[in-house]
Amino acid sequence: MTEPGLIAVGLFLPLFPLSIVFNAVLERIGHPLLRSALLLVWPQIGLLLLSSLDVQLPSWLVIWGLATALLYAFRLLAMREMGRWTGFLATSAWALLWLPAFAGVPVPQLWAFAGGFSVPLVFMTLLAHLLQQQYGAAYTGLYGGLALRLPRFSGVLVISTLAATATPLFPTFFGMLQALIVSQPMPAVGLTVTWLIWSWAGARLLQGLIVGPAEPSPEHDLSLATTWGYALGLSLLVVAGIILTGSQL
Amino acid sequence: MNSINQLVLLLPSLPLASALLTHLMSGSMARRVSQISVAGGILSFLIAAILLGSVLSGHDVAQVAVGDAWGSLLFDPLSALMGLLISGISLLVRIYSVRYMAEEAGYGRFFVLLDLMTAALLIMVAAGDLITLLISWHLIGVLLYFLLGHDTRSKTAYRYGFWTFITYRFGDLPLVLAAAVLFHTFDSWSLPEIFSALAASPDTKTFFDLPVSEVVGALIALSAFARSAQFLLHTWLPYTMDGPTPVSALMHAGIVNAGGFLINRFAPVFAYTDDVLHWVFIVGMFTAVIGSVLMLSQHDIKKSLGYSTMGQMGFMIMECGVGAFSLAIFHLIAHGLFKGTLFLSAGGIIGEARHEDGVPKDDLYTFIVERRPARARQPWLLMAAITLAIPVAVLLLSHLLVAPNLFQKQGAIILLFFGWVTGAQLLFATYNMRSENPWRLVTLIVISFTVVVVGYTLISHAFDVFLYPDPEFGTLLYQAAGIDYSWFVFLVVFASAAIVLGWLRAYYTERGQRSRWRSPSNWWRNFYALVWREFHILDIYTGLTHGVLAASARLNVWLRWG
Repeated sequence: MTEPGLIAVGLFLPLFPLSIVFNAVLERIGHPLLRSALLLVWPQIGLLLLSSLDVQLPSWLVIWGLATALLYAFRLLAMREMGRWTGFLATSAWALLWLPAFAGVPVPQLWAFAGGFSVPLVFMTLLAHLLQQQYGAAYTGLYGGLALRLPRFSGVLVISTLAATATPLFPTFFGMLQALIVSQPMPAVGLTVTWLIWSWAGARLLQGLIVGPAEPSPEHDLSLATTWGYALGLSLLVVAGIILTGSQL
Repeated sequence: MNSINQLVLLLPSLPLASALLTHLMSGSMARRVSQISVAGGILSFLIAAILLGSVLSGHDVAQVAVGDAWGSLLFDPLSALMGLLISGISLLVRIYSVRYMAEEAGYGRFFVLLDLMTAALLIMVAAGDLITLLISWHLIGVLLYFLLGHDTRSKTAYRYGFWTFITYRFGDLPLVLAAAVLFHTFDSWSLPEIFSALAASPDTKTFFDLPVSEVVGALIALSAFARSAQFLLHTWLPYTMDGPTPVSALMHAGIVNAGGFLINRFAPVFAYTDDVLHWVFIVGMFTAVIGSVLMLSQHDIKKSLGYSTMGQMGFMIMECGVGAFSLAIFHLIAHGLFKGTLFLSAGGIIGEARHEDGVPKDDLYTFIVERRPARARQPWLLMAAITLAIPVAVLLLSHLLVAPNLFQKQGAIILLFFGWVTGAQLLFATYNMRSENPWRLVTLIVISFTVVVVGYTLISHAFDVFLYPDPEFGTLLYQAAGIDYSWFVFLVVFASAAIVLGWLRAYYTERGQRSRWRSPSNWWRNFYALVWREFHILDIYTGLTHGVLAASARLNVWLRWG
């Protein structure tokens, strides 16, 4: 019963090729709120299933999880469509949950780890939707120059991307540190390499969207209220990072 | 909490508050918003000066904690000294930027980023625990990326900024791994606690039964190499000149020195290593040589400046590799002030040079620019004796003045050796110079050299006493850097022979006696082309990057369903 149970968990804490299911579902959902809900709920289902199994995880799951994380991080590098980009990053990050889970980190901390990745990815999903509405596609390297065209949007996008790629002081950063200190040396190296590739992919995403010559057109930018809303959300994320995940170290 | 502790906390908090205020007020204050940043910079500098004064007056070392497990700042000689340097350079850069950036878009954003960078740097040098250090270390790379790419229209600036960012991120990883190893071994994030535990049992083992000092030392060194542009991790440095000049000044004067600081911060770890400092020395020396060679071969003045910094960083790391940790700090401060001045005054000098080049038509000019050597030469043997003997005498006397046990420290001998080479090179150059009174010229050069050496020796000795007051600890560092005596002698003799042969070759080439040497061969020309093309390292990295991205794209095509 354990093996099928773990397979089911592997669907939600995605292990390749089971991870294809999550990405396929995410791609087929068009509505940004539904996509956001999926990003928030999917890993939590996996963690619920995992906690209900109450078994000692086999060590090969750590390798499988790490390989999945590396695979999707690597694929992230060439991904130019922002919607799929968020899906790949989510897959890569959630697959890393197997490392702390194997080391026996309590489930509430794993929830914080998963949620810490979900929230900035939700912000990015909402921002991608705005781009789709405005330009027909949320695609890097297609138009560029958003920093001048949409300065507020660009600011929020930059901070959200930094939050999603485990930059201090966001929960993702502390989550990665937590996963690192409970890992054995070789998985720890794999985890840091994954982290490095996320940063690379994040920089490529931002460069493909915000950099480039353009005329300012503030009329299409985020409203001041919406910008403050995002700023508040991201600030709360930092506070949560320091107080919740940061205090677990 | 006493007043010193409050000041320790206030020092990085001020630029943070300044960044927040600048952001909030940039709409209403327009260009005047920079006044907030400058005012914050002045206050930070004053606080840093007070803190350094407190250390000098004998105030005890302290650790100020905000959180339980992490979030602490150290108040010690190293953090106080570096704090003053950072706040000083940062203040100058901000004052310079007030007018320099006035015509640029994103004026407020620039000052916000400058303030955040200053805060991150101040936190880094004062970090009392590994988490705080990791946070600031990581954020510096991110902030530098956005500072270098301040002009969001410029794809070139972002492309080169990205190289900096990815190299810095690469350098973050060994530090993260080192932190994990230290926490796993000592169950603490606090640096003073870790250092005490390591000093109590220096042979502590970690994963795979490896000595923790060796593993952590190697990882820290790797992290420092990336941050300080050591060979193979250097390509970002000469190409980041597309960023604003104040950022170049801050980067070359402050940020790039972080490697030397990091090695000094972890000196209690390096004191118990066996082999790591040897590798640090080799990498530093190689970088110093390659950086200098590349600097000389570049036609682009900006790239040349970048490679000059690379060479200096190599020398700084090399100083750590010989155990002269405090000297590396002196070096990074001196280089920071020198290079910062160079960048910030470059615009003004170019402007002045358009009207008058300002180069005096003296002996030096005729020798270097017009390439007119002396018509009458002094006796060869006498000049050779002066060239080789005087620097040795000056260096030995000045160093024996402050350290009678000089010859017990291999590292000190190596640095003396480099000093001797530099001094001899200086005198050697004067041999060909055209002067009506050559003895007067030589005397002046010898006096200048003596002043520089004595000043350098006294200041570096003062740094040693200030940063590492415990002489036993200093001896431990030199011992960790030491090698087998016979190997040491062999290497010194080998290096001396190579240098003297190089001098001889340069001398005969200059005299035009090429019959003794082969004319430049294809091999030599190819080598020059190789150096000029920067050993194709950039091309290799670019090719690798394209390969990785192509592989990623191919994989996405194969796995297109998710």
